[in-house]
Amino acid sequence: MKQRTLWSAVLVAGLTVAGCGSATRTAPSPAASGTSGTGKLVVWDWKSGDATAASYIEKAKADFAKKHPGVTVEFVAQPFDNYYTLLGTAIQSSTGPDVMLFNGGGQLRDRVDALLPLDEYVAEDRQRLAGWDAFSKDGKVYAAPVTLQGHPIYYNKDIYQKAGLDPAKPPATWDELMTACAAVKKAGKSCFALGNKEGFGIQFFLSGLGSGVLTPQEYDDWIAGKRDWTSPHVKQIFTLWKDVNDKGFNNAGANSTAMFNDSWAIFQSGKAANVIGLMSDIGHWKDFGEFLPPDQIGVMPAPVVTDGATPSLAYDGGIGYGVAKWTKDPKLAADLVRSLTSTDALTAFYAKAGAIASDTTIDASQSGPAAGAIVAAIKSGKPALHVALSSKTLDLMGRLSQKLLSGSVTVDKAMDQMAAADKAS
Amino acid sequence: MPIGGSSPLVRPGAPGRTSGEDTTRQASHRATGAGSRRAARSERLAPYVLVAPAVLIILGLRLYPLILGVNFSFTGDGDRNGTTVGFDNYLELFDDPLFRTALGNVGLLVLLLPVAVAIPGLLATFIYLRVPGHRVFRSVYFFPAVLSPVIVGSIFNLMLAFDGPLNTVLGTIGIGPVDWLGDPDVTMFTVVGVHVWATFGMALVVFLAGFSTLDSSLLDAAQMDGASLARTIWHVVIPSLSRTIAFVLVTTMIGMLTSMFGLLYVMTSGGPEGSTYLPEYYIWIQQGQMNRPALASAASTVLFLIMLVVGLAQVGLLRRAGRQD
Repeated sequence: MKQRTLWSAVLVAGLTVAGCGSATRTAPSPAASGTSGTGKLVVWDWKSGDATAASYIEKAKADFAKKHPGVTVEFVAQPFDNYYTLLGTAIQSSTGPDVMLFNGGGQLRDRVDALLPLDEYVAEDRQRLAGWDAFSKDGKVYAAPVTLQGHPIYYNKDIYQKAGLDPAKPPATWDELMTACAAVKKAGKSCFALGNKEGFGIQFFLSGLGSGVLTPQEYDDWIAGKRDWTSPHVKQIFTLWKDVNDKGFNNAGANSTAMFNDSWAIFQSGKAANVIGLMSDIGHWKDFGEFLPPDQIGVMPAPVVTDGATPSLAYDGGIGYGVAKWTKDPKLAADLVRSLTSTDALTAFYAKAGAIASDTTIDASQSGPAAGAIVAAIKSGKPALHVALSSKTLDLMGRLSQKLLSGSVTVDKAMDQMAAADKAS
Repeated sequence: MPIGGSSPLVRPGAPGRTSGEDTTRQASHRATGAGSRRAARSERLAPYVLVAPAVLIILGLRLYPLILGVNFSFTGDGDRNGTTVGFDNYLELFDDPLFRTALGNVGLLVLLLPVAVAIPGLLATFIYLRVPGHRVFRSVYFFPAVLSPVIVGSIFNLMLAFDGPLNTVLGTIGIGPVDWLGDPDVTMFTVVGVHVWATFGMALVVFLAGFSTLDSSLLDAAQMDGASLARTIWHVVIPSLSRTIAFVLVTTMIGMLTSMFGLLYVMTSGGPEGSTYLPEYYIWIQQGQMNRPALASAASTVLFLIMLVVGLAQVGLLRRAGRQD
């Protein structure tokens, strides 16, 4: 009897509090910010621990120390695999770093509630740096870009030559690409190195080839948020995704091949002729150049599928530093962000880590033909298509792309689901 | 326990004393009465004080976070952060095919449980029956149990790659390559297989310990009667080991439901096509990647309820197995 009373008491207590409070802390109390005592800033990222980023951090620190000699800066390098989980916990409790590193696009936009708009602090840098869009939401900037990240199509000139193709003239239209792929396949190589285990392969395919399929108007509408998933061109991208695989132009077992880093390995080891890669950090011109002769690596614009489409390089701000809302001295933290994006620091980052830095005043044309071609394409480049999607939509797109490859869903059904998910988020 | 006002501590006064002495005694009697009442109260409170640390730890570190989590599951995410949304999160959960797959996979794990118990049981039987090389097998079988899931996962990622060694071997004997980690119909079984491979050493040791209590005269008798190996196992070994089997069943179940995360994370990331999601992985993705802590709280609550049911069933099973002898 007594126990029953106790249980009902617990139940009643539980029900009365159910639905109160919130899973994410709403208003950060200044007292709760445990890290930003006067004269100390804490930075979270996943870069500062890398040996290749050491001189970048060094330069940025020196620049900041010149402006604010009394302030100590502590860099905390978190493991990237758990970075956003750790950050989520920090955001929930409104304690943690003053300055933090973000990937551009969804990862940042999902968390702008915890970030400080930087517009007034970074006005001077707007012209010098490129890639702001990926760090903006509703017209406000929340982080300053450090690198540019994009999806050039790399090709192995050596394989092209061996397959009887002209390496100086990569395929310019989709038909030419398919003919080239057939020749490459005949020569015993895969046409594309594809890793879609994590569902990232479709993101690269969409952004790498999308500018050759969508008309400029459709492209701009997509980026602006007016996405029509029933349009024939959008549908065509996913049909092509399936076609390439059905024709056997991808490496076998794409759904169980990890993009990071097994698919790069396939390209680097000369087993595949093409790969849609990255510009910075990993899987790019500098990485490939360590295994293949740099002059054998070419970059081609997206082949034209639709008449009237103008191929452009898809790129965005890659990684960038933002300022937490709960920091004590926003001006100070914003100054640190400015130091982290100073020309000196970024030059060091580009040279050591192999990244296309956001600073347009850096000359990158000396690093081989691939890097040169990428830098030359930046001016006419546009934001990547997949970066405009929310992380939830991207997650679904990854799963659907695997189903398309295995044939367990039709393109039409997949488009319906994508439309619903995109509308909901 | 001497509780109460009657005071055995107070000596009865000797007869024939003066009245002055008598009043003193009465006063002292009154004083001792109050003292004993205080003693009584502190003795009544003592047990509560003594269990308080344990109770407070359970309340503060177990029940409070639990209630908080359940509470958060009734609030919203993002724009609706902090507002009560009723059962919206739960409706969204059960509407999400991914979460339904995760629950379905829990069911699959329960179905595969007998296999996961039978393998170490059978191998332990062979070792007990002293097949040639049984000493080597005993240590070799236990070896994977000391490896962390991350290492096991990485090893099998290499072994089971589409162009990996296993498919090469299969190719040489004329069986087409199987996409172990890329075929949604196969991958969950692959991961469970790897999990069993990595953990059955523990269960094997428990089985071997159980065998040491087995009455060997029964086995001898069966042998004298000419029973086959299969009949010996079915009629002698299994009945004698019912308590051990129940224990292994429970621990294997707990292992399968709680420690698959590492393997999934390394081997499949929930894929392909979301076919290897488990509730834990779903919670991690929603909280860490999708920034949906309230939805993750709701999923945690559902997982908690499932584990509660499973846990109670296990307690019942163990109790019944204990009663049998």
